[in-house]
Amino acid sequence: MRSVLAVYQKELATYFRSPIAYFVVAVFLLGTGYFFLYNVLLTGDATMTETFQSMGVLLISVIPVLAMRQFSAEYGAGTMELLLTLPLTPWQLVLGKYLGAVTILLVITAGTLIDLVPLYLFGAPETTTILAGYIGFVLLGMACLAIGQFFSALTQNQIVAAVLTAATLLAFWFVGHAQGFQTSYAWRSLLGHLSFALHFADFVQGLVRSEAVAFYLVVSAIALTLNASYLQWQR
Amino acid sequence: MNAPPAAIVLQSVSKRYGSKTVVHDLSFTVQRGEVVGFLGPNGAGKTTTMRMIAGFTTATSGRVTVAGYDMDTQNVEAARRIGYLPERPPLYDALDVSAYLRFVGKVKGVPRAAMAAELERVLAACRLEGVVRHEIYKLSRGYRQRVGLAQALLGQPEVLLLDEPTAGLDPGQIQETREVIRAFGEDHAVLLSTHVLPEAMLICRRVAIISRGRLLAIDSPSGLQRAVEQTNRVTLRATAPAPALRDALLAVSGVLDVTIHATPGDDGALAAECHVEAREGVEAAIARAVAGRWDLHRLERREPTLENVFLRYVRGGDGEAVT
Repeated sequence: MRSVLAVYQKELATYFRSPIAYFVVAVFLLGTGYFFLYNVLLTGDATMTETFQSMGVLLISVIPVLAMRQFSAEYGAGTMELLLTLPLTPWQLVLGKYLGAVTILLVITAGTLIDLVPLYLFGAPETTTILAGYIGFVLLGMACLAIGQFFSALTQNQIVAAVLTAATLLAFWFVGHAQGFQTSYAWRSLLGHLSFALHFADFVQGLVRSEAVAFYLVVSAIALTLNASYLQWQR
Repeated sequence: MNAPPAAIVLQSVSKRYGSKTVVHDLSFTVQRGEVVGFLGPNGAGKTTTMRMIAGFTTATSGRVTVAGYDMDTQNVEAARRIGYLPERPPLYDALDVSAYLRFVGKVKGVPRAAMAAELERVLAACRLEGVVRHEIYKLSRGYRQRVGLAQALLGQPEVLLLDEPTAGLDPGQIQETREVIRAFGEDHAVLLSTHVLPEAMLICRRVAIISRGRLLAIDSPSGLQRAVEQTNRVTLRATAPAPALRDALLAVSGVLDVTIHATPGDDGALAAECHVEAREGVEAAIARAVAGRWDLHRLERREPTLENVFLRYVRGGDGEAVT
């Protein structure tokens, strides 16, 4: 456990000593602020529903940047040789790094809470709906980060890692749209089950469905397991 | 009671990448309390072997054990007992020296209460006290190398693996680093790779000589010294056709090997390098053989190099036999 914590602290320290974390947080908060202004102040509806939808798409586009350095940068700097020869199991390494990235995700999430101030000051939003949206947002982010971290372990090149991650996340986000082209019920429901966007839409509507919670957690677990197995296999 | 296992044991270790064999059937041991040098030219397989011992890669065949632990299956247990400095110091540029060493110390399991004293110990050993708060990207190459060494020393490992530990250091720092290694080697096992002949002879009790992935010999520094004394290098410049010059040189008694540099110089002369036996009269015989037929511009005897020593081991079969 102490090893996981050590890796976690190292991750956070390197994140915040490079411009990437600040850049990602800033871009995300600026983007969210814009959508919030657009969706709430222009329509006059005291709801986060539209803003959450935009936050989901924005998250899909910033996560590749956040996750690309996870392992790629370690290969590039030669520090993978240190990590793999220290008394660390692949799982400890993968978890420590993942928790570091999830912490940045939570920082981003906390940053958007400022949007709620005018909402509560000038309107009467539904607190439970907003809470459900935030739970969905964090779960979505966790699944995306796990996928990004796995791709980052596959290549030394951060750009390649980011592109692979972006392509995969976009595919998972939009896969639900392919439903309309399917006549068979089985295909329609499979595509629906795989869709990041459709599960997220449930949360945004205020529904915390155990199926949707499990979906994001299982996706994260699969990606992290692939990640740890790959590191083990690579030796 | 059984005797404690040797610190490092390699049994018929090979490493292949695809069809290329980088390390071929390597066997040797390193005991506690000795510094063993791993000497070979660049590309001999030193780094690959170090990586297999450190657990960064696994052997294709054969067995590597460190402190009694099999590196294939018990590498995490073994890693607690290994300090490893890779060829390229594995540093986080964004961290300062103290944060970096604390990270490594924590992962190595240095207890919280002992951390400050442990950091102080390695910082002093590697003369890093002045740069504790410096970010690593600001450090010079010599300092980076020493931060890498400090990291390896953390946690009092039983086995220290150092891949070219003095590369990039200035002469004063090289001296200090050798002292650190020597002192550490008194009660630990140290394996250090180098392509610098005097370094291997100065600090190692035994030297394993490796070339093209094969172990040529394990010898003492004095045996190595003998090998150095027994071989010599002669360079010359002559205006002559390359194949004929090569044949003429190889025909001289005492010449072991000839390298001719392909492109002639401004004066149209070719440069040739001969490895020769260290006895009187070889240079004179070369001079006679060349000057009799072509223009000989220059001929000189040079300091022996690692190449000479290798030739001696390959051809002379000196030193302890490799089993």
